[in-house]
Amino acid sequence: MTPAAARPDAPLLQARGVGKSYPGVRALAGVDFSLRRGEVAALVGENGAGKSTLMKVLAGVVQPDDGQILLDGRALRLAGPADALRAGIALIHQELSLCDNLTVAGALFLGAELRRGPFLRRQAMRSQAREWLQRVGLAVDPDKLVAGLAPGQKQLLEIARALRARARVLIMDEPTSSLTMVETARLHEVVRELRGEGVGVVYISHRLDEVKALADRAVGLRDGRNSGELPREAITHEALVDLMVGRQLATARRQPHAPGEVALRVDGVRTLAFPGAPVRFEVRRREIVGIAGLLGSGRSELLRALVGVDERLGGAVAVAGLPLAGGGPAAAARAGLVLLPEDRKAQGLVLGMNVRENLSLPTLRRRGWLVDGAYERDLARRTIGELGIAANSIEQVVGSLSGGNQQKVVLGKWLAATPKALLLDEPTRGVDVGARAEIYARLHALAAAGLAVVFVSSDLEEVLTLADRALVMRAGAIRAELAGDRLTEREVMLAATSMEAE
Amino acid sequence: MTMHRRAVFAFAAALLLVAAVAGQDAPRKPKLAFVTNCVAEFWTVGSFGVEAAKAEFGVDAVVRMPANGTAEEQKRILEDLLAKGVDGIAVSPKDPENMTALLDKVAGRALLVTHDSDAPKSKRLCYVGMDNYDAGRLCGQLVKQALPDGGAVVLFVGNLDQDNARRRRQGVIDELLDRSRDPARFDKQDAPLKGGKYEVRATFTDQFDRQKGKAAAQDALARWSDVAAMVGLFEYEPPLLLETVKAADRLGKVKIVGFDENDATLQGIVDGHVHGTVVQNPYEYGRQSLALLAALVREKDAERRAALMPKERFVDIPARAITKANVEAFWTDLRQKTGRK
Amino acid sequence: MKKALGIGVLLLVVAAFTAWRSHDPETGRYVFLSAYNLENLLQRIGLFGVLGFAAAFVIVTGGIDLSIGAVVCVAGCVLPWLLRDRGCGGGAALVLTLLLCAGIGLWHGLLVAGLGLQPFVVTLCGLLLYRGWMRGFSDDQTMGFGDAAEGLRWLATGKLPLGESFGLPVPLLALAFIAVGTWVVWSRTVWGRHLFALGRNEEAARFAGVPTRRLTIAAYVACSLLAGFGGCLFVLDVNSAQASSFGSFYELYAIAGAVLGGVALRGGEGSVLGIVLGSALMQVLPNTIRLLFDSDRMEFAVVGGVILFGAIADQVVGRWASRRRRPA
Repeated sequence: MTPAAARPDAPLLQARGVGKSYPGVRALAGVDFSLRRGEVAALVGENGAGKSTLMKVLAGVVQPDDGQILLDGRALRLAGPADALRAGIALIHQELSLCDNLTVAGALFLGAELRRGPFLRRQAMRSQAREWLQRVGLAVDPDKLVAGLAPGQKQLLEIARALRARARVLIMDEPTSSLTMVETARLHEVVRELRGEGVGVVYISHRLDEVKALADRAVGLRDGRNSGELPREAITHEALVDLMVGRQLATARRQPHAPGEVALRVDGVRTLAFPGAPVRFEVRRREIVGIAGLLGSGRSELLRALVGVDERLGGAVAVAGLPLAGGGPAAAARAGLVLLPEDRKAQGLVLGMNVRENLSLPTLRRRGWLVDGAYERDLARRTIGELGIAANSIEQVVGSLSGGNQQKVVLGKWLAATPKALLLDEPTRGVDVGARAEIYARLHALAAAGLAVVFVSSDLEEVLTLADRALVMRAGAIRAELAGDRLTEREVMLAATSMEAE
Repeated sequence: MTMHRRAVFAFAAALLLVAAVAGQDAPRKPKLAFVTNCVAEFWTVGSFGVEAAKAEFGVDAVVRMPANGTAEEQKRILEDLLAKGVDGIAVSPKDPENMTALLDKVAGRALLVTHDSDAPKSKRLCYVGMDNYDAGRLCGQLVKQALPDGGAVVLFVGNLDQDNARRRRQGVIDELLDRSRDPARFDKQDAPLKGGKYEVRATFTDQFDRQKGKAAAQDALARWSDVAAMVGLFEYEPPLLLETVKAADRLGKVKIVGFDENDATLQGIVDGHVHGTVVQNPYEYGRQSLALLAALVREKDAERRAALMPKERFVDIPARAITKANVEAFWTDLRQKTGRK
Repeated sequence: MKKALGIGVLLLVVAAFTAWRSHDPETGRYVFLSAYNLENLLQRIGLFGVLGFAAAFVIVTGGIDLSIGAVVCVAGCVLPWLLRDRGCGGGAALVLTLLLCAGIGLWHGLLVAGLGLQPFVVTLCGLLLYRGWMRGFSDDQTMGFGDAAEGLRWLATGKLPLGESFGLPVPLLALAFIAVGTWVVWSRTVWGRHLFALGRNEEAARFAGVPTRRLTIAAYVACSLLAGFGGCLFVLDVNSAQASSFGSFYELYAIAGAVLGGVALRGGEGSVLGIVLGSALMQVLPNTIRLLFDSDRMEFAVVGGVILFGAIADQVVGRWASRRRRPA
């Protein structure tokens, strides 16, 4: 694996005829993949196409049933992620998986601590940590606890960790799904710098504009098999979608319906995060409103305060004209205001329970002392049918569903509460293109049926296509309201990043 | 007292003869069980009595000891024995007041006698043991002997929900306070107990945790500088008291009186650090419980069975006071019985 | 650290209250603060504190060990047996006993980390297994030293004279040694860093190349080793062990001491000072009851009540403070 032994003509990393089966599922079948030095190869495909499995095989997390992995043209046996790391292959996870009880420096050097005998060289690690953090543009104290970092900062820390490990192959799985636009731009810069230094990057993203901007080559996977490749110049939105799903998707902005009466009125609400910034807005029935802004601009906090998950500091909220006075999410749901939270796995679902139990959770009825089983089963069957949830049965454990289907379960469980206004926090985070289009269609239908829909998204394309009207937040306050012709990428960016004159 | 004990023996022996003659027709040995209230060396001596009885009276017998010393555990042991099928059970009930229903159930399916601790309200046939109240008074006499000029006394006991513990403690108190004989009396733990020259300052419980017992003894010494005597009512307690008093350098200033025949207690008496101890006779508890049960099992006729029953349904195996005067002889005899050196 | 502060304040309040109420008007002395009482108390804190650290090592990994009391029982029965019945020297007996206990920990670790069994199940079964085994092993006899271990008993009952009337109990020194050692391991070594990472997010630690299995096994070994050492001290202290009851429920004292001191049951969190203070509180409260009250039947109720009160106060004060910190 030393550079001297490497064959310069061989690809940096190569997978040949890789196959992997899980009980009942053929995840990969004879997949080929290669990566050259100084190349960014995007791996695209719908959820369940085998991207995650291929990525795990390359990073040594799972062992393939057949086929082989070559690094510098030499066969490689990876018994575990530690082996891959030693060989110079680093995986940056989709689900942030740092140990948040460590300090930044501690997390950066986890598994490769600088040591003197059994003892840690804390001073040395601290000063080296500063250099690595600087390289990814992360300005935090190395002694700060990871728990205190924003999601975007954690992601950058993970990348710094891979750099620290001298990775020659970087596998990035949805690295920007929790990043703001500024952070995304910074990340892309870092990736380009790495490419210039000869590092090979495998880049997995659902955001096709990112793939267009960054990738030297796009490799498609469908149903566990190769579905083709696109060279840099051939990468277009349509071509990528073809590669992934082989069908065209309608993502054009809908014709706004005539808005109805006011469904949600927010008047002077302040949150614990930004106690100095009262927020005021209205949403009408049949309207879809997007809330844009940088990460940490107070968007999620606002939604959480509206339904009463977090405490509201003053201000009033009215749903369909009726004031909502405290009482937490249960009272809000009764009044017709529900929130689909940002972190599906931690806040939206009980992953270990099945589809039926999750769907009925907020609206569960009792018959005497017992659960009304008939209601529960009926609700589950109806929702699966209506939302097109791809589950084997209503008894399937939610944790084993794909991201898009999990999101549908979250949606279905709140629709069962017959809401008047629907709040969604990052509704398509970690959801593939196909399922994303379905969620958009579903939201369109709900709005058409008379619901008020409010969503927070860091995906600018999503705000532009889905929303009739956009609110842009910065530092806890609404800085701009954009609709019609003014709802453009440039205007949103201007409002979000305070480049406008204050 | 010894009269009816002898009578039982004689009868049992006679029955044995009859059984030996008639034995060819009924070769099955009676199946008996001896159930204790906890695990302790005391009961090891008792089980040697059971062993002796097996050969002497021609019975099969098992010994069962509840490991945690709880009433629930004892209940399970009794139920399992019934399920297994035994002819007679001798039990030292853990919580006689509340076990009446259970004991009655046992008595309905096997011959039941109590030993060591009685359950007079139940349908048990007979009680084999000593009167704990009287043993307590005997212990109180030892304290008086050790403290002729009076003083403050602290009592230590495993717990107070067990009948024998309550009666034992009451006996000590009543003797020290020169009260009349009334085994039914009960002074609460925090009642002021002072009369004449003696005062009972407190009763500490340790739930059979030796470390806790030791801590309680230490705390008593810390709290009162004028403690003149400490009394350990359960077998493992006098050695803990001895340890504590020794470590606090108050040997001689704080007299120790105990119950039962722990080696360290007896050694303390030999060395002159422990004034005396009241010993029961667990060996005889085991042996005579089984003797009585064996006799009852073999007698099918109700009338003659009733005639077998001792007076007041009580086989008295009295407690003895052991002091420096008789400790050597007692210890030698004990070693012989238990087969230890 | 914040948790340690809270429990420290509670401990101080309880101690001050006890000292104040234990004033004896006749002699004019404060019984609680007498050298004799403090010596006794510090010795008990030393004994139980060792078990607190045993529990902490496993809890930090996100596991639990319910067999601590049973391992105390094993040490309490085996040490006297080696010394008196097998004629081992003091040092040899101690080392052999500790090896046996470390072996039990290794067994737990292999079952948990190697075979993937639930720590609760493994150690709950261990609890029953070892106590039952010891009952059979000792034939329900009381295991004691007699006069055989006078030298070794110094470890549990000895004191280092400190001034004229006060001696520092040796078990407290042992605890101090273990506490400092644990602090160094947890905050200054690679092993400790990995232990905490593993406790918080085992998956992430494994991905980072941390040998999570070996570490988990090592944590269980450390736990049982410390529990065994504690067991040796306990039996040397009281001089006799009865297999059926020796060390019974001590795992709860140990876990309570550790958790009170801020060791989070979900793993990856713990402070050395907190464990010492938490274990101390568990010993001061019974002492308070025996020094101040005429009856000890309310002991469990008082211990439970004071600790619950402390937890409530901690939470309420914490909320109040965080509200104050946010600008209006």
